[in-house]
Amino acid sequence: MREKWTSRIGIVLAVAGSAVGLGNFLRFPSQAAQNGGGAFMIPYFISFLLLGIPLMWIEWAIGRYGGLFGHGTAPLIFNRLWRHRIAKYFGAIGVFGPLAIFIYYLYIESWLLGYCVYSLTGTLGGLSTKEEMLGFLQRYQGIGSRDLFARSYLFFLAAFALNFLVIYRGVRGGIERLCKIALPLLFLFALVIVVRVFTLGAPDPARPDWSVWNGLGFLWNPDLGALLDAKVWLAAAGQILFTLSVGIGVIITYASYLSKGDDIVLSGLTASSLNEFAEVILGGSIVIPLAFAFFGSAGAREAAHSGSFNISFVTMPLIFARMGWGTLFSFLWFLLLFLAGLTSSISLIEPTVAFLGDELSVSRKRAVKIVAAATFILCQFPIFFIARGVVDDIDFWAGSFFLVVFAAAECVLFIWIFGIQRAWDELHHGSEMRVPRFYKPVIRYVTPTFLLLILGFWFFQQAIPTFLMRGVPPENVPYILATRLGLLLIFIGIALLVRKAYHGSVWGKR
Amino acid sequence: MTTGGWLFMLLSWGLILSLTAYCVRRVLRAPYKDL
Repeated sequence: MREKWTSRIGIVLAVAGSAVGLGNFLRFPSQAAQNGGGAFMIPYFISFLLLGIPLMWIEWAIGRYGGLFGHGTAPLIFNRLWRHRIAKYFGAIGVFGPLAIFIYYLYIESWLLGYCVYSLTGTLGGLSTKEEMLGFLQRYQGIGSRDLFARSYLFFLAAFALNFLVIYRGVRGGIERLCKIALPLLFLFALVIVVRVFTLGAPDPARPDWSVWNGLGFLWNPDLGALLDAKVWLAAAGQILFTLSVGIGVIITYASYLSKGDDIVLSGLTASSLNEFAEVILGGSIVIPLAFAFFGSAGAREAAHSGSFNISFVTMPLIFARMGWGTLFSFLWFLLLFLAGLTSSISLIEPTVAFLGDELSVSRKRAVKIVAAATFILCQFPIFFIARGVVDDIDFWAGSFFLVVFAAAECVLFIWIFGIQRAWDELHHGSEMRVPRFYKPVIRYVTPTFLLLILGFWFFQQAIPTFLMRGVPPENVPYILATRLGLLLIFIGIALLVRKAYHGSVWGKR
Repeated sequence: MTTGGWLFMLLSWGLILSLTAYCVRRVLRAPYKDL
């Protein structure tokens, strides 16, 4: 008997928890600041309406539909949508993708746990320059010096244990219970930090123009010329895909724990809007305004271009070290990011556990132990070879490229092969609100076309150069090749398990 | 911040806050059903 959610707010918070991650607080502000400021919000909202919300509804509908037949993951659900032998292997991406992302995501999540502790002990507050902060991060990662590495490994073990403890306790007792506590706490901590940011004014009286309000201007002042740049539209569409956790397969698994008559239209929209609240209102009001207020326009620009790791682990601790009550706010910042990471990482591992349980009849507790053992071994690669570009390479393939491939596949299968009318009826079964009628042609034509355009653009702009390892230092090439071989072997392993599950199912026995 | 910046920020916030408030209110108002 498959588990079910105990309440609607439970699954809404679980899906929102999966969507609200590090990207909401780190990636969004840097993308917006780099791509036209306020003008970025035009393609962003258009992508939200035409890409994000339709994909969110599609995943909820596919998941609930699959759950009725006892399937919680994409492989055999795709096989139900499209009776073709290849369909289940497209579905295998929905197990492979989250598993591969989990391998490095968990490691980064464990840094956040470590930095929570280092905030409280005052270690971070004692570092006053960018060089010192960067040096500390590298020591923490074991790059160069390994004096902090043992402690960072302990934090990894703690984060790993916490993740699997939650998963071990199941959907109701683990995931739902955690999300009901962690999400409200996360919002509360972010609100406290935002209130502090808005009451800072200009922290340096000698530089009255370095104010939080001008920092908001740095993020929001529109550069309307950017709207003519295709890259800005692509960045906005990419951000929507990443931020809503669509195209990974995790929402399918979460929605599979619903019953036939449970609403998905309103629930999906609520989870999406909570994510947008966390991203645009909370995420957009912390990093860039603070960087501007403390380091000026050049500092904010540098922060926006420095990437998520630098913003989180270098820029922000430096700012907190200069703020009143900095220890407390630094702790809250890293704790909120850790909670955002935790609620996302448990959603990444759930599809693999559900796959073993649903399709290979492994008990949940045994499945958790098997997945824990396998991922523990796999996690060692990013931990020990992070300096070799391993994390970036896994992130590109699992977190970007296959995400778009999977999103396009599920969209085409559900809308064009399963059929738009059946999909529309499935979406509205038990629904507490009607989807506006204009969404029918949008879901049928606009969303898949949008996705295929993104896929095509990325394939030529990013996938080919990345595949050919352009810009990779020669000494890192063997590590990148080994990473890709490893990813390929994981995918082949999952595909073989999918084949075994298929032949053990009613379809395979026909 | 320029007038345009304020306009884009407040408009974006308004849209998101309205959507979130509408959805959350409807979810919380709906009878607590045992899923």
